[in-house]
Amino acid sequence: MERDPSAFLKEEYEELVKNNFDWKLRILETGSSPHSVVDGKEVIMLCSNNYLNLSNHPRIIKEAMDAAKKFGAGSGSVRAIAGTMKLHMEVEKRLAKFKGTESSLIYQTGFAANSGLIPQLAGKGDIIISDELNHGSIIDGVRLTKADRAVYKHCDVGELEKVLKDADKKYKRILVITDGVFSMDGDISPMDKIVDVAVEYGAMTYVDDAHGEGVIGPDGRGIGAHFGVEGKIDVEMGTFSKAYGVVGGLIAGSQDLVNFALNKSRTWLLSGSHPPAVAGAQLAAIDVLETEPEHVKNLWDNTKYFKKELKNMGFDTGHSETPITPVIVGESSKAKELSNGLYDEGVFALPIVFPMVAKDKARIRTMMNAGLTKEDLNFALEKFEKLGKSLKII
Amino acid sequence: MVSKVGFVVNPIAGMGGKVGLKGTDGVVKKALKLGAKPIAPKKAEEMIKEFLSYHTTKDKIQWFTCAGEMGSKELTNAGIKEINILYTAPDKTTSSQDTKNACKQFLKQNVDLILFCGGDGTARDIFSVVENKTPLLGIPSGVKMHSGIFGITTSATAKMLHEFVNQTLTIGDAEIMDLDEDRYRNGEWNIRLFGIAKGIVEPTYVQVGKTSYESVSDNEIKDELAEHVVDEMEAHDGFLFLFGSGGTIDYIANKIGIKNTLLGIDAIYKKKPMGTDLNEEGILALLNKYPKSKVILSPIGAQGFILGRGNLQLSPRVIKKIGLDNIIVISTPSKLMSTPVLRVDTGDKILDHQFMEKEFMMVVIGYRMSRVVKLQTNNF
Repeated sequence: MERDPSAFLKEEYEELVKNNFDWKLRILETGSSPHSVVDGKEVIMLCSNNYLNLSNHPRIIKEAMDAAKKFGAGSGSVRAIAGTMKLHMEVEKRLAKFKGTESSLIYQTGFAANSGLIPQLAGKGDIIISDELNHGSIIDGVRLTKADRAVYKHCDVGELEKVLKDADKKYKRILVITDGVFSMDGDISPMDKIVDVAVEYGAMTYVDDAHGEGVIGPDGRGIGAHFGVEGKIDVEMGTFSKAYGVVGGLIAGSQDLVNFALNKSRTWLLSGSHPPAVAGAQLAAIDVLETEPEHVKNLWDNTKYFKKELKNMGFDTGHSETPITPVIVGESSKAKELSNGLYDEGVFALPIVFPMVAKDKARIRTMMNAGLTKEDLNFALEKFEKLGKSLKII
Repeated sequence: MVSKVGFVVNPIAGMGGKVGLKGTDGVVKKALKLGAKPIAPKKAEEMIKEFLSYHTTKDKIQWFTCAGEMGSKELTNAGIKEINILYTAPDKTTSSQDTKNACKQFLKQNVDLILFCGGDGTARDIFSVVENKTPLLGIPSGVKMHSGIFGITTSATAKMLHEFVNQTLTIGDAEIMDLDEDRYRNGEWNIRLFGIAKGIVEPTYVQVGKTSYESVSDNEIKDELAEHVVDEMEAHDGFLFLFGSGGTIDYIANKIGIKNTLLGIDAIYKKKPMGTDLNEEGILALLNKYPKSKVILSPIGAQGFILGRGNLQLSPRVIKKIGLDNIIVISTPSKLMSTPVLRVDTGDKILDHQFMEKEFMMVVIGYRMSRVVKLQTNNF
């Protein structure tokens, strides 16, 4: 049969462009900083996950450089063969201590943790019960299993309990998975209640705390510490790529979990380990969180101020309880207009539109940064107010 | 792209309700005598006005309609200038035959959608001519609206039309329900499933990139549901499977090579048909022969009934014999969006109470994927 084997590449890309679904990459000419240069323009950064501005922390940068000088640019292998350095082990030990769990394991990325571990935790004859708004990496992890799947209404523990009650009789293993902080609305899953109900029905709990790690809980220790259930969540999954300011995924839990995970997660077993500079920076980031509480405090001070002022102006900021503050504007076209206007005025915040969120809930998603000053926030707020009025949002 | 829309108003729809007649079929004169006033023309006009308020350059419609109150008057009053009149009713008082005649003209023009204003009776008349050749959208204006092709409100219908012509909604199944109004006026329920029309529904989306989504067609979802049903049948080899009525179940049955009755109940054992379009007695006879059984149901009509509307063959005796735990409810996610509550009205108080105690059902919405849905009884 005659065929052009790669014609679809161009065709599908052009289709995406036609529907305006293609990614137009924005280029940073500086580091990811509170003031960044994006596509040649200086902007206040309100859409990075670098919540604590740790990617620019001098001590973390120095530790990364020192580790590279001492141990080289790369690790040489996958962790399982010859790519586990003493430095990697040290990060895992320190991380477990920081999070109040028995053990921890570092993955190459958060996505690798979810897509590598979830499929191993449940199989045929088991069920995975998932919050309806869980992140795409969880969904992909779940897709790789032969387990049955059930979804419950967002953060609705009553509905979760109903599913558990039904599942109790029918399945061997039950795994409940939820995001810790939901990245679209900035709300927090009721983890204490989820743990209670899961224990009652003999279900395992798994939380993806990517947006909570370094942000919620005392000193940013994450969702377990936030609800006082450290060590009670079977799998606390998180990331070094957001508030920690580096890169990498992580899980924290029992030693049994870590032994199981490192022997069974294909993503972990078959990807090269982190370069020494990354591990050095991860270790330093934990150090900074343990010894410099001001970063988490600044983040929350900024968050509270920004939310309060936006609300006072009349913006709908939803039900966020975290540094992710949605500015809900309604129609998708309006969110895009507001985002473009903000960029022109020197504020970088991206629109989130249907079907990512409901048709009438299109928004600008802002993410706070501990390194922004009061002046920076007032500058951004002034632009929000000006554009909000001209677009008749407020 | 210009959408061709056929528009018909049943001017007398809904008149019986205000004067307590529970329907207008065959009692127009009585309704008028009791002081009933036409309500459908006004509702139709309001809906068109609201639709025009959403107007964008993409909202291009070529309108086909009937003379006078059956369509052109409402469109003109709402501010539409270019109208193609295809049919004129011979008498001042219009009848169901006029609605049917208008639809025949719409079909000749190959319209993309028939928009109508009326109730279940009007829907039934239109479906008897159009069947599933063209999608239908109803502006709710009748006394009863059990059929699944109505917008929830006038305003919701306007939004649906706007989204349909902007191609953000897709085509799915919608049940046409039939109620014997004479018996209803005497306090008796006799609703049956009249047919499966094409309606317009919200598509199901799957995330393909970080922020990009693709809509999945109803048939792709039904293919997944079919795989699920096959797995269930294999896992319960010694069970008799009863296939309920409706478009989703019909599609699944056909997909897995089983001849199915669209509006009836069929029985399958070890992938072989044991009975088609069974009545209550027929089902009970089979249940005596095969003590282990499961029934596959899908929500029917606008109110989300799984039992008690359109499938009275599944009587309380039948359901008790099968057992509540052996009911498998399936639905496409888009259908579930329009019927967020499942309803049961078996006519047996004890059985209804058992359903009420369950509080919820797990509804299969994809391959090995389910979600919890609230259950209500005796509520319509």
